[in-house]
Amino acid sequence: MRGNSTVLAALNKVLTRKLTAINQYFLHARMFKNWGFNELNERIYKASIKEMKHADEVIERILLLDGLPNLQELGKLYIGEEPKEMLRLDDKLQSEDIRYIRDAISTCEAEKDFVSRHMLAEILEQQEEHQDWLDTQCSLIDTIGIENYLQRQL
Amino acid sequence: MYVCLCKGVTDKQIQRAVDQGARTMRDLRQEFGVGSQCGKCTCCARDVLHDAIHARKEVVHIHVPSPQGQLDVDIAYS
Ligand code: FES
Ligand SMILES: [Fe+2]
Repeated sequence: MRGNSTVLAALNKVLTRKLTAINQYFLHARMFKNWGFNELNERIYKASIKEMKHADEVIERILLLDGLPNLQELGKLYIGEEPKEMLRLDDKLQSEDIRYIRDAISTCEAEKDFVSRHMLAEILEQQEEHQDWLDTQCSLIDTIGIENYLQRQL
Repeated sequence: MYVCLCKGVTDKQIQRAVDQGARTMRDLRQEFGVGSQCGKCTCCARDVLHDAIHARKEVVHIHVPSPQGQLDVDIAYS
């Protein structure tokens, strides 16, 4: 099956975002683990694995469309120095990811590739779940303070 | 935040360097090696550098030597 080049470019863009997120989340998770914040470690580790599963789906889709998945390209990682900053940077990354996925969905729609569109819509749903969780953590930190918040994560 | 992950350079380090006289990307590269490995941090480093310079509220002239804006931005005082 021959894919349209606009769709392939959009899918590769999403792939780059995914590969970047895998690494940012993975490092943040293990930094939390190193500091003893096991809840945060587990949650963010899982988010990283989820990004990898999404990347896998996108890679397979690109191959099916006779394209070449670009695993070379990686965006800049935004790594925080302390928990609050790390969560805030993840929140920012995730909301930008969501924007890219939405753009890719519109591209697929315009190009009438409804299978890719469907795949991205499913990915988007899971993205929004993690975004919600990140939003909640950031506002919780604002409300109860970082010390109280971290106490709960031990 | 780590601006340059390859060299482990944070935004705070860059701000401190500006307080001590750093004004260009070249200064940051010489002092910390910012941007000298993968190069992905140059955009972000430039933003942090310029914000720190502007926060000093001094008059600056910015010369962009390349029309693509790819080169170092030189900043001088008037
Ligand atoms: S992140 Fe600065 S050179 Fe790689
Ligand atoms: Fe994501």
